[in-house]
Amino acid sequence: MTYEVRDNLLYTKEHEWAEIIDGEAKIGITDYAQKSLGDITYLEISVEVGDEVERGQVLGVVESVKATSDIYAPLSGKVIEINQEVIDSPEIINEDPYGKGWILRLEIKDEEEKNKLLSPKEYSDIIKED
Amino acid sequence: MHPFLPNLPKKKEMLKYIGKDMNDLYDRVKEFIVDIDLPEPLSEMEVLRKLDGILEKNKELRLFCGGGVYKSYVPAVVDEIVSRSEFYTSYTPYQPEISQGLLQSLFEYQSMIAELLGMEVANSSMYDWGTSIAEAMLMASRVTRRRRVLLPENISPERRAVVETYISGKLKIDEYSYSRETGQANIEEISEKIGEDVAALYVENPTFLGPIEERVEEIGEIVHKAGALYVVGVDLLSLGLLRSPGDYGADIAVGEGQPLGNHMNFGGPLLGVFACRGDMKLIRNMPGRLIGMTESKSGVRGFVMTLQTREQHIRRERATSNICSNEALCALATAVYLSLIGPKGLKRIGERILSNSIYLRRKINRELGLDSPIFNSKHFRDFTVKYPVEVSKINELLLERGIQGGIDLEAIGLNRVSLLSVSETHNKEDLDFFLSSLREVLEAI
Amino acid sequence: MFRQARWQYDKEKIEPLIFELSEEGKIGHIIPEVEKEIKDEIGNPEDEIPPNLRRKDLPELPQVTEVEVVRHYTRLSQMNYGVDLGIYPLGSCTMKYNPKISEKISRDRRVQEVHPLQDERTVQGSLRIMYEFEEFLCKLTGMDAFTLQPSAGAHGEFTGLLIIRKYLKEERGESRKEVIIPDTAHGTNPASAAMAGYKVIVIPSDEEGCVDIEALKEVVSKETAALMLTNPNTLGVFEKNVREISEIVHEVGGLMYYDGANLNAIIGKARPGDMGFDVVHLNLHKTFSTPHGGGGPGSGPIGVKYFLEEYLPVPRIRYDEKEKRYFLDYSSKKTIGKVRTFYGNFSVILKAYVYVLLMGRYLKEVAELSVINSNYLMKKLLESGEYEVKFKSVMHEFVATPKNWRAMDVAKSLLDKGVHAPTVYFPLLVKEAMMVEPTETEPKYELDRFYDAMTSVEKDSPRNTSIDRLDEVKAARNPILSWRMYLEKSGTSG
Repeated sequence: MTYEVRDNLLYTKEHEWAEIIDGEAKIGITDYAQKSLGDITYLEISVEVGDEVERGQVLGVVESVKATSDIYAPLSGKVIEINQEVIDSPEIINEDPYGKGWILRLEIKDEEEKNKLLSPKEYSDIIKED
Repeated sequence: MHPFLPNLPKKKEMLKYIGKDMNDLYDRVKEFIVDIDLPEPLSEMEVLRKLDGILEKNKELRLFCGGGVYKSYVPAVVDEIVSRSEFYTSYTPYQPEISQGLLQSLFEYQSMIAELLGMEVANSSMYDWGTSIAEAMLMASRVTRRRRVLLPENISPERRAVVETYISGKLKIDEYSYSRETGQANIEEISEKIGEDVAALYVENPTFLGPIEERVEEIGEIVHKAGALYVVGVDLLSLGLLRSPGDYGADIAVGEGQPLGNHMNFGGPLLGVFACRGDMKLIRNMPGRLIGMTESKSGVRGFVMTLQTREQHIRRERATSNICSNEALCALATAVYLSLIGPKGLKRIGERILSNSIYLRRKINRELGLDSPIFNSKHFRDFTVKYPVEVSKINELLLERGIQGGIDLEAIGLNRVSLLSVSETHNKEDLDFFLSSLREVLEAI
Repeated sequence: MFRQARWQYDKEKIEPLIFELSEEGKIGHIIPEVEKEIKDEIGNPEDEIPPNLRRKDLPELPQVTEVEVVRHYTRLSQMNYGVDLGIYPLGSCTMKYNPKISEKISRDRRVQEVHPLQDERTVQGSLRIMYEFEEFLCKLTGMDAFTLQPSAGAHGEFTGLLIIRKYLKEERGESRKEVIIPDTAHGTNPASAAMAGYKVIVIPSDEEGCVDIEALKEVVSKETAALMLTNPNTLGVFEKNVREISEIVHEVGGLMYYDGANLNAIIGKARPGDMGFDVVHLNLHKTFSTPHGGGGPGSGPIGVKYFLEEYLPVPRIRYDEKEKRYFLDYSSKKTIGKVRTFYGNFSVILKAYVYVLLMGRYLKEVAELSVINSNYLMKKLLESGEYEVKFKSVMHEFVATPKNWRAMDVAKSLLDKGVHAPTVYFPLLVKEAMMVEPTETEPKYELDRFYDAMTSVEKDSPRNTSIDRLDEVKAARNPILSWRMYLEKSGTSG
């Protein structure tokens, strides 16, 4: 089984990705995550636009027929946008986890936190072991 | 040898194939092996004889007590269908393709309960009415993220005990009282006690003591204004005459399904009915199994257990409930029952129950001069009677005549008051026999 | 070749919904009208309903005749697999044969037509059955007192944990917050613990598939209220260090809880009470052969050691030596209360009582044969080369992983051969897990039939069942949970 890992992103051990541009981070779950879950049936975001979140905080949950998985914030910041399209059609996450399947955007609080994330190579190594 | 152990004669042969002996297979257990003294097995004939002798000590009485469990007529078809071993020897339909019979039947059960209660969704059963209320309170707490619930003072003591056991560790239970005059909820008190920290208010309609809660719609409005959930418990067989809870604002409706096609069986198994509005936020927080409609690969309609991610086998400690085995076969019985009686049958059963109740309580009142009911309200099935002496005394004398009298309400502070119940199985002869017996008893004391 | 009944009604459905057979005016059952004399006496009963609560329309229940109801549900029953048809090897479910004499006795009027609130003197038969059964369970399990109130295993787990919680509070003034559960545990264990207000601490299993003692030592503390253990566990392996585990837990002041789902492997031969357990639950619908009913009703009695007896739910069933009769005792001051209305699933308890009479000392053979049947199958599957079994020191069940297929594909292929699949994807510890429990009531040739089906997996299954592969994703993405919802979503009015 091959899993796509993109070079322009940073990752977490819990299989989230973050795309950081100009102090803002776009967040989603990885190809590995969506493949492990199987057909995604439901996505629930438990935060709202304007909320302040801490790194590691649960942002919501993604469900398939036989599993659920929490989504953790890779970075601390303020929620500035939630992708309503994936909430309405969660299967988009299966189809395009790094593109159209983005979940929400944060205004980052602390640029230094980036260093706590995994590089594409570090993340690839982790998922290779599975 | 034994009729249920086909491989008993083959033990040696199979052990040889396995390459171990019995001690090897139980090696890890060896420090715990004990000799438990067990008797010889009985044959069927002997078992029947023994059970016959034991069951002889059970007496069938003319019943005038209730408490949620009622004697009701179970049509012969219902017993036939639930005796089909393809149904009763199956288990939870984890492999839906081979279990469509049960899955479709339970979908039909869910649908019929939804119709009855005026809701969109019903689960495929809980253990009983009491645990259904408890789970409704916990569900309301999850949905609203609040921690206080309001229960009526006159909730059935049996059901209240269950709710307390279930939720007193987690939620705060507050009570609202009822009018001693009408037996109905004190709405002013509800307005006072409701608040932004209340997850749900529960009301029973009719109440445990019998009166119909006339202001249920108003109560619902108060509850919703505070952002809480409205949970209503009903007598399901009243719904041919009374409006459904979904119609007057209930978010969750619960009740006891036993009188709908299940025998009393000394109080178990029962059938916890649980339904809610078609709001996805509510549905996703529902306890219990849900059967959903879908399609097969070749486009044929079929049924599967769905939204299983709420349940314990997937969500484990974050499940909406720990419930696994439920009362599925009793739900099947209820589905068959409701199919047979239909809407007109439901209405007629309601009319019979109501008429029997009115007849009996009026006669007790007019001919025996007793206060019946003690509340100045309209009643459906159950009603109170005030006796001149302790209820236990009256019931003892009624028992001599083969009658089980009503529930003694002394325990909830209503001295000398009995709660009588009727069912659609009573006819005039039964009711008159109760009256004449009660008359005799009153004259004797 | 196996073919399940398929009453293919038309291209779109195998059987109409009962609502689709409905027609205005049909009746399925005659309910007698209110008697004329009663009507004359009371007038119109509907005057008794407050005007604002009177129904305008009747609920839209189906209107069908008796003939149609019978055909409909009989056809549906034919499209359903049960243990009366063949092997049903769901792991930890113990799908054994359900004796028919138990069914017959449960249909006796003296069982069915008895109300729970009848005067105790008139229900001495039912009370005696419950009392004697409790006594027997004490003897069988080595516990001191039982309650038959819980309606299912999970219900029993919840009850047991409430007992533990109250005991710790009352006896020691402690509010311990944690329950330790092995990673192989059935999902109800953590769910029940959470419901009882506890935080769940999961501990890993070792190379044998058993509780990792070192890991256990690291997590026990003064916060440990209990450890929940299934024995043998869901891998089929007997936790031989159970005594040591008990000592570790008891030493920090915690209690030991036994999940009796797998009692079938040791029934009549070993007793959880001897292993250090303080609370046990049993599953009557598993070990004691009462029918599973398509998901219920079950019964989950709880047994406790003497020091917890007062905490059991009320009422207790007692015997008065002087009056020579059984009675319901509500007097306990320390009871946790009630976990359900009335006394328990009586007709289920009755069937278990009958089973025990029918088996007698053969209960030991039940255990031994359950273990033999399981090991026989495991060995055969291993020798076929098609399966691996990571944990081989098993008793009545084992967990296999197919080498060349996915567990789901094997499961669906089995259905095509007229065999119910074992539990799949559980326990989570094993990849592509298939948890197999044949039980002792399967003849050898049925085990061989199962083996044949497991080793001749065909793709694109199932096709020989009443319906082909169902789309569970669609059902979850777009839930249609009732006829009403179906009408709303398909844009038709009622």
